[in-house]
Amino acid sequence: MDIVYGQPLKELLQVSSYFKEQLIVLVNTELQEAAVKKKYLKTCFLVNEKTDLNKIKNKRKAVIGGSVAANEFAVKIGANYLLQPCNEKQFFDLGLAKKLSENNITVVLMFDELRGKNSFERHLYWKNYLEVVNYCKRKGTKFIVASGGTDPLALRPRKVRRALAEILGLPKEKAKEYLSEEIK
Amino acid sequence: MVKIEKKKKKTIPLSKRERKRYVLIEILNADVAEKDFYFGFWIELLGFFGSRGLAEINPRIVLYKNNKVIVKCKRGKETELIAGLGFINKIRNKKVILNPLLTSGTIKKLKTEAQMN
Repeated sequence: MDIVYGQPLKELLQVSSYFKEQLIVLVNTELQEAAVKKKYLKTCFLVNEKTDLNKIKNKRKAVIGGSVAANEFAVKIGANYLLQPCNEKQFFDLGLAKKLSENNITVVLMFDELRGKNSFERHLYWKNYLEVVNYCKRKGTKFIVASGGTDPLALRPRKVRRALAEILGLPKEKAKEYLSEEIK
Repeated sequence: MVKIEKKKKKTIPLSKRERKRYVLIEILNADVAEKDFYFGFWIELLGFFGSRGLAEINPRIVLYKNNKVIVKCKRGKETELIAGLGFINKIRNKKVILNPLLTSGTIKKLKTEAQMN
Protein backbone atom coordinates (compact mmCIF):
# COMPACT_ATOMS: atom_id res chain seq x y z
CA MET A 1 0.00 0.00 0.00
CA ASP A 2 1.23 3.44 -0.90
CA ILE A 3 -0.28 6.92 -0.59
CA VAL A 4 0.36 9.75 -3.05
CA TYR A 5 -1.11 13.13 -3.89
CA GLY A 6 -3.11 13.66 -7.08
CA GLN A 7 -0.86 13.72 -10.16
CA PRO A 8 -0.63 12.60 -13.84
CA LEU A 9 -2.57 9.36 -13.54
CA LYS A 10 -1.26 7.59 -16.63
CA GLU A 11 2.38 7.70 -15.54
CA LEU A 12 1.39 6.96 -11.98
CA LEU A 13 -0.40 3.82 -13.07
CA GLN A 14 2.63 2.72 -15.11
CA VAL A 15 5.07 3.11 -12.22
CA SER A 16 2.76 1.58 -9.62
CA SER A 17 1.98 -1.44 -11.79
CA TYR A 18 5.73 -1.96 -12.30
CA PHE A 19 6.19 -2.00 -8.52
CA LYS A 20 3.03 -4.12 -8.12
CA GLU A 21 1.79 -1.73 -5.49
CA GLN A 22 -1.72 -0.79 -4.48
CA LEU A 23 -1.97 2.98 -4.69
CA ILE A 24 -4.22 5.33 -2.76
CA VAL A 25 -4.53 8.74 -4.40
CA LEU A 26 -5.43 11.67 -2.19
CA VAL A 27 -8.24 13.78 -3.66
CA ASN A 28 -9.99 16.97 -2.64
CA THR A 29 -13.18 16.92 -4.70
CA GLU A 30 -15.63 14.37 -6.08
CA LEU A 31 -14.59 15.35 -9.60
CA GLN A 32 -11.02 14.31 -8.87
CA GLU A 33 -12.30 11.13 -7.28
CA ALA A 34 -14.23 10.20 -10.42
CA ALA A 35 -11.13 10.74 -12.59
CA VAL A 36 -9.00 8.57 -10.33
CA LYS A 37 -11.62 5.82 -10.10
CA LYS A 38 -11.70 5.60 -13.90
CA LYS A 39 -8.10 4.34 -13.72
CA TYR A 40 -9.07 1.70 -11.13
CA LEU A 41 -7.02 3.36 -8.41
CA LYS A 42 -8.16 3.73 -4.82
CA THR A 43 -9.02 7.19 -3.51
CA CYS A 44 -8.94 8.91 -0.17
CA PHE A 45 -10.43 12.31 0.66
CA LEU A 46 -8.21 14.97 2.14
CA VAL A 47 -10.22 16.50 4.94
CA ASN A 48 -9.79 19.63 7.03
CA GLU A 49 -11.95 21.53 9.51
CA LYS A 50 -13.84 23.35 6.72
CA THR A 51 -14.81 20.22 4.79
CA ASP A 52 -18.45 19.16 4.79
CA LEU A 53 -18.20 15.67 6.25
CA ASN A 54 -21.79 14.71 5.41
CA LYS A 55 -20.86 14.59 1.72
CA ILE A 56 -18.14 12.02 2.21
CA LYS A 57 -19.73 9.63 4.63
CA ASN A 58 -18.51 6.05 4.39
CA LYS A 59 -15.47 7.09 2.35
CA ARG A 60 -11.81 6.93 3.24
CA LYS A 61 -10.58 10.10 4.90
CA ALA A 62 -7.11 11.47 5.54
CA VAL A 63 -6.10 14.47 7.62
CA ILE A 64 -2.86 16.37 7.19
CA GLY A 65 -1.47 16.87 10.68
CA GLY A 66 1.25 19.25 11.66
CA SER A 67 -0.50 20.97 14.55
CA VAL A 68 -2.13 19.85 17.78
CA ALA A 69 -5.57 20.89 16.49
CA ALA A 70 -5.19 18.99 13.21
CA ASN A 71 -4.01 15.83 14.98
CA GLU A 72 -6.95 16.01 17.39
CA PHE A 73 -9.29 16.62 14.46
CA ALA A 74 -8.20 13.33 12.88
CA VAL A 75 -9.14 11.50 16.08
CA LYS A 76 -12.42 13.40 16.39
CA ILE A 77 -13.72 12.50 12.92
CA GLY A 78 -12.25 8.99 12.97
CA ALA A 79 -10.14 9.44 9.85
CA ASN A 80 -8.40 6.49 8.26
CA TYR A 81 -5.01 8.16 7.94
CA LEU A 82 -3.16 10.88 9.79
CA LEU A 83 -0.54 12.25 7.40
CA GLN A 84 2.54 14.01 8.70
CA PRO A 85 1.57 14.30 12.38
CA CYS A 86 4.65 16.38 13.04
CA ASN A 87 7.18 18.46 11.14
CA GLU A 88 10.19 20.37 12.42
CA LYS A 89 8.17 20.72 15.62
CA GLN A 90 6.78 17.84 17.62
CA PHE A 91 2.98 17.64 17.97
CA PHE A 92 2.73 13.94 18.75
CA ASP A 93 2.59 12.36 22.18
CA LEU A 94 1.78 9.11 23.92
CA GLY A 95 -1.82 10.17 24.59
CA LEU A 96 -2.46 10.86 20.93
CA ALA A 97 -0.85 7.54 19.97
CA LYS A 98 -3.24 5.76 22.32
CA LYS A 99 -6.27 7.54 20.87
CA LEU A 100 -5.14 6.76 17.31
CA SER A 101 -4.67 3.12 18.22
CA GLU A 102 -8.17 2.92 19.74
CA ASN A 103 -9.71 4.47 16.61
CA ASN A 104 -7.61 2.31 14.27
CA ILE A 105 -6.03 5.32 12.54
CA THR A 106 -2.80 4.82 10.63
CA VAL A 107 0.02 7.32 11.05
CA VAL A 108 1.73 8.10 7.75
CA LEU A 109 5.12 9.61 7.05
CA MET A 110 5.08 11.20 3.59
CA PHE A 111 8.60 10.46 2.45
CA ASP A 112 8.78 13.02 -0.37
CA GLU A 113 8.32 15.87 2.09
CA LEU A 114 11.19 14.59 4.23
CA ARG A 115 13.43 14.07 1.22
CA GLY A 116 12.87 17.61 -0.02
CA LYS A 117 14.14 19.24 3.16
CA ASN A 118 17.65 20.52 3.68
CA SER A 119 19.93 18.65 6.04
CA PHE A 120 19.15 20.85 9.05
CA GLU A 121 15.37 20.52 8.72
CA ARG A 122 15.75 16.87 7.86
CA HIS A 123 17.50 16.07 11.13
CA LEU A 124 14.65 17.70 13.06
CA TYR A 125 12.11 15.72 11.05
CA TRP A 126 14.01 12.51 11.66
CA LYS A 127 14.33 13.16 15.37
CA ASN A 128 10.59 13.81 15.68
CA TYR A 129 9.67 10.71 13.70
CA LEU A 130 11.93 8.55 15.83
CA GLU A 131 9.77 9.67 18.75
CA VAL A 132 6.55 9.12 16.78
CA VAL A 133 7.54 5.54 15.94
CA ASN A 134 8.53 4.89 19.54
CA TYR A 135 5.10 6.02 20.76
CA CYS A 136 3.32 4.08 18.02
CA LYS A 137 5.27 0.96 18.94
CA ARG A 138 4.35 1.29 22.60
CA LYS A 139 0.65 1.81 21.96
CA GLY A 140 0.27 -0.50 18.95
CA THR A 141 -0.62 2.29 16.51
CA LYS A 142 -0.15 1.52 12.83
CA PHE A 143 2.68 3.41 11.16
CA ILE A 144 3.68 3.38 7.51
CA VAL A 145 6.07 5.26 5.29
CA ALA A 146 4.37 6.40 2.08
CA SER A 147 5.88 7.97 -1.04
CA GLY A 148 3.58 10.98 -0.84
CA GLY A 149 4.87 12.87 -3.84
CA THR A 150 3.20 14.90 -6.54
CA ASP A 151 5.36 13.29 -9.24
CA PRO A 152 5.19 9.66 -10.43
CA LEU A 153 8.98 9.46 -10.19
CA ALA A 154 8.77 10.23 -6.50
CA LEU A 155 7.24 6.81 -5.92
CA ARG A 156 9.44 4.55 -3.85
CA PRO A 157 9.47 0.74 -3.90
CA ARG A 158 8.01 -1.10 -0.93
CA LYS A 159 11.39 -2.50 0.10
CA VAL A 160 12.80 1.02 0.51
CA ARG A 161 9.82 2.22 2.53
CA ARG A 162 9.94 -0.83 4.72
CA ALA A 163 13.65 -0.31 5.35
CA LEU A 164 12.95 3.32 6.29
CA ALA A 165 10.29 2.24 8.79
CA GLU A 166 12.73 -0.29 10.21
CA ILE A 167 15.53 2.19 10.73
CA LEU A 168 13.02 4.50 12.40
CA GLY A 169 12.63 1.75 14.98
CA LEU A 170 9.59 -0.24 13.88
CA PRO A 171 9.98 -4.03 14.27
CA LYS A 172 10.62 -5.89 11.02
CA GLU A 173 7.39 -7.94 11.10
CA LYS A 174 5.24 -4.93 11.96
CA ALA A 175 6.74 -2.82 9.16
CA LYS A 176 6.01 -5.62 6.71
CA GLU A 177 2.52 -6.23 8.04
CA TYR A 178 1.40 -2.60 7.95
CA LEU A 179 2.75 -2.00 4.44
CA SER A 180 1.29 -5.14 2.95
CA GLU A 181 -2.26 -4.34 4.08
CA GLU A 182 -4.60 -4.44 1.09
CA ILE A 183 -7.61 -2.17 0.81
CA LYS A 184 -10.87 -3.45 -0.65
CA MET B 1 75.14 -10.39 12.50
CA VAL B 2 71.39 -10.23 12.61
CA LYS B 3 69.66 -11.81 9.72
CA ILE B 4 66.72 -9.86 8.44
CA GLU B 5 64.12 -12.08 7.00
CA LYS B 6 61.42 -10.66 4.84
CA LYS B 7 58.11 -12.06 5.82
CA LYS B 8 55.42 -12.41 3.25
CA LYS B 9 52.24 -10.55 4.09
CA LYS B 10 49.60 -13.04 4.88
CA THR B 11 46.08 -12.41 3.71
CA ILE B 12 43.32 -12.77 6.25
CA PRO B 13 41.72 -16.17 5.90
CA LEU B 14 38.27 -16.20 4.40
CA SER B 15 36.64 -17.46 7.59
CA LYS B 16 38.05 -14.58 9.64
CA ARG B 17 37.10 -11.79 7.29
CA GLU B 18 34.16 -9.55 7.99
CA ARG B 19 30.87 -10.85 6.63
CA LYS B 20 29.29 -8.91 3.83
CA ARG B 21 26.05 -8.69 1.89
CA TYR B 22 25.44 -7.91 -1.74
CA VAL B 23 22.44 -5.90 -2.91
CA LEU B 24 21.24 -5.89 -6.49
CA ILE B 25 19.85 -2.50 -7.49
CA GLU B 26 18.02 -1.57 -10.65
CA ILE B 27 18.12 2.00 -12.01
CA LEU B 28 14.81 3.01 -13.54
CA ASN B 29 13.90 5.82 -15.92
CA ALA B 30 17.34 6.91 -17.16
CA ASP B 31 20.57 5.60 -18.59
CA VAL B 32 23.29 6.59 -16.18
CA ALA B 33 27.03 6.22 -16.62
CA GLU B 34 28.86 4.29 -13.94
CA LYS B 35 30.87 7.28 -12.78
CA ASP B 36 27.77 9.47 -12.47
CA PHE B 37 25.98 6.79 -10.51
CA TYR B 38 28.94 6.37 -8.19
CA PHE B 39 29.04 10.11 -7.49
CA GLY B 40 25.28 10.56 -7.00
CA PHE B 41 25.04 7.47 -4.82
CA TRP B 42 27.89 8.58 -2.61
CA ILE B 43 26.75 12.18 -2.15
CA GLU B 44 23.22 11.26 -1.08
CA LEU B 45 24.24 8.51 1.31
CA LEU B 46 26.91 10.72 2.83
CA GLY B 47 24.39 13.54 3.22
CA PHE B 48 21.97 11.31 5.09
CA PHE B 49 24.16 9.00 7.16
CA GLY B 50 27.23 11.21 7.61
CA SER B 51 30.81 9.96 7.46
CA ARG B 52 30.45 7.73 10.53
CA GLY B 53 27.23 6.12 9.35
CA LEU B 54 28.62 5.56 5.88
CA ALA B 55 31.79 4.02 7.31
CA GLU B 56 29.64 1.59 9.29
CA ILE B 57 27.68 0.58 6.21
CA ASN B 58 30.86 0.47 4.12
CA PRO B 59 29.17 0.33 0.69
CA ARG B 60 31.22 -0.58 -2.37
CA ILE B 61 30.06 -0.78 -5.96
CA VAL B 62 31.10 -4.19 -7.21
CA LEU B 63 29.57 -4.44 -10.64
CA TYR B 64 27.69 -2.13 -12.97
CA LYS B 65 26.05 -3.42 -16.12
CA ASN B 66 22.93 -2.52 -18.11
CA ASN B 67 21.58 -0.14 -15.49
CA LYS B 68 21.89 -2.80 -12.84
CA VAL B 69 24.32 -2.46 -9.98
CA ILE B 70 25.64 -4.81 -7.36
CA VAL B 71 26.61 -3.01 -4.17
CA LYS B 72 28.52 -4.65 -1.35
CA CYS B 73 27.97 -3.67 2.28
CA LYS B 74 28.55 -4.93 5.80
CA ARG B 75 26.29 -7.72 6.94
CA GLY B 76 23.45 -6.37 9.08
CA LYS B 77 23.65 -2.96 7.47
CA GLU B 78 21.74 -3.78 4.29
CA THR B 79 18.54 -2.24 5.71
CA GLU B 80 20.31 1.09 6.10
CA LEU B 81 21.72 0.86 2.59
CA ILE B 82 18.29 0.12 1.10
CA ALA B 83 16.68 2.92 3.12
CA GLY B 84 19.36 5.33 1.89
CA LEU B 85 18.49 4.51 -1.71
CA GLY B 86 15.17 6.27 -1.22
CA PHE B 87 16.93 9.61 -0.92
CA ILE B 88 18.49 9.35 -4.36
CA ASN B 89 16.10 10.85 -6.88
CA LYS B 90 18.41 12.63 -9.31
CA ILE B 91 21.67 11.64 -10.93
CA ARG B 92 23.22 14.26 -13.20
CA ASN B 93 19.87 16.08 -13.34
CA LYS B 94 18.14 12.94 -14.58
CA LYS B 95 15.30 11.78 -12.40
CA VAL B 96 15.76 8.17 -11.37
CA ILE B 97 14.21 5.57 -9.10
CA LEU B 98 16.51 3.04 -7.50
CA ASN B 99 14.78 -0.27 -7.01
CA PRO B 100 16.48 -2.82 -4.74
CA LEU B 101 15.72 -6.19 -6.30
CA LEU B 102 17.53 -8.75 -4.23
CA THR B 103 19.88 -9.14 -1.29
CA SER B 104 22.26 -12.05 -1.03
CA GLY B 105 25.37 -13.29 0.72
CA THR B 106 27.02 -14.34 -2.53
CA ILE B 107 27.65 -12.39 -5.68
CA LYS B 108 27.02 -15.43 -7.85
CA LYS B 109 23.33 -15.60 -7.12
CA LEU B 110 22.83 -11.94 -7.94
CA LYS B 111 24.75 -12.29 -11.19
CA THR B 112 22.56 -15.13 -12.36
CA GLU B 113 19.42 -13.31 -11.24
CA ALA B 114 20.36 -10.15 -13.12
CA GLN B 115 21.89 -12.08 -16.05
CA MET B 116 25.11 -10.12 -15.68
CA ASN B 117 27.48 -12.90 -16.70
